[in-house]
Amino acid sequence: MSWETHIADATVEIFSTMLMMEVSSQPPLTERIKSHQDSVTGMVGMAGLYKGMLAIHAPSQVAMTITGNFLGLEVDSVNDDVKDAMGELANMLAGSIKAKLSDNSKDIQLSIPSAVCGDSYSLDYQPQQGSSMVPFESAGGRFLVELQLEQQT
Amino acid sequence: MGKKVLIIDDSSTMRKIVTRSLRQAGLDFDTILEAGDGQEALQLLAKESVDIILSDINMPNMDGIEFLRQKSANAAIKSIPVVMITTEAGADILAEAKSLGAKGSIKKPFTPEQVSEVLGGLM
Repeated sequence: MSWETHIADATVEIFSTMLMMEVSSQPPLTERIKSHQDSVTGMVGMAGLYKGMLAIHAPSQVAMTITGNFLGLEVDSVNDDVKDAMGELANMLAGSIKAKLSDNSKDIQLSIPSAVCGDSYSLDYQPQQGSSMVPFESAGGRFLVELQLEQQT
Repeated sequence: MGKKVLIIDDSSTMRKIVTRSLRQAGLDFDTILEAGDGQEALQLLAKESVDIILSDINMPNMDGIEFLRQKSANAAIKSIPVVMITTEAGADILAEAKSLGAKGSIKKPFTPEQVSEVLGGLM
């Protein structure tokens, strides 16, 4: 099974179970988007047998909708709840991917989730062999899930 | 006296989700306490008694495994049941948690029904 399929399956499961939101995956992007405008990115780093990171990028309005569904309340600005929710989504997605990579939890360590937001920012990461960026459509709008992965020898 | 639960997770979002899931699952807690990591939880448990603890594993300052280790060495709180709620689904880490006294685990993402199923037997 490809990484894109793992990303799609994990994302659909997390959104349907925890957010009661239906999302559908689109064909993976052929070129990585590294610049984001008026957006929020939640991300988790990976280290150990594999190194890399998993990130979820959403325009601010979509991130607010996602957070609203997550918490069951109205969200009208990119506040701490939005950043925390996007980080936690990245954490759950990374946990799912980690389970596909190794049965031994200590083989791969996940960082504490973090989030960035702003009118315009870019995330530099050297694309690795396991680089994937999968778009998703939801009722709230489009967002991206990105996986950068490199097996350590 | 009503039952008390302590939720330990560095994500405020996840603490709110767990709280909502407990209510949706019909689990009757009068008081829900929160801590952002294991260290904060131990400080809170020095002042408050609780009936059950739900804890994440991957947290800053003091993670869920170290929290279990320190809790199991503290006679005053070692008997409080702990259920891990975590993205860490590896059999090895869950076995380590169990060896340190964890009574069960719930994998994120989870439904209120799964929370009810695991906690129901411990209440």
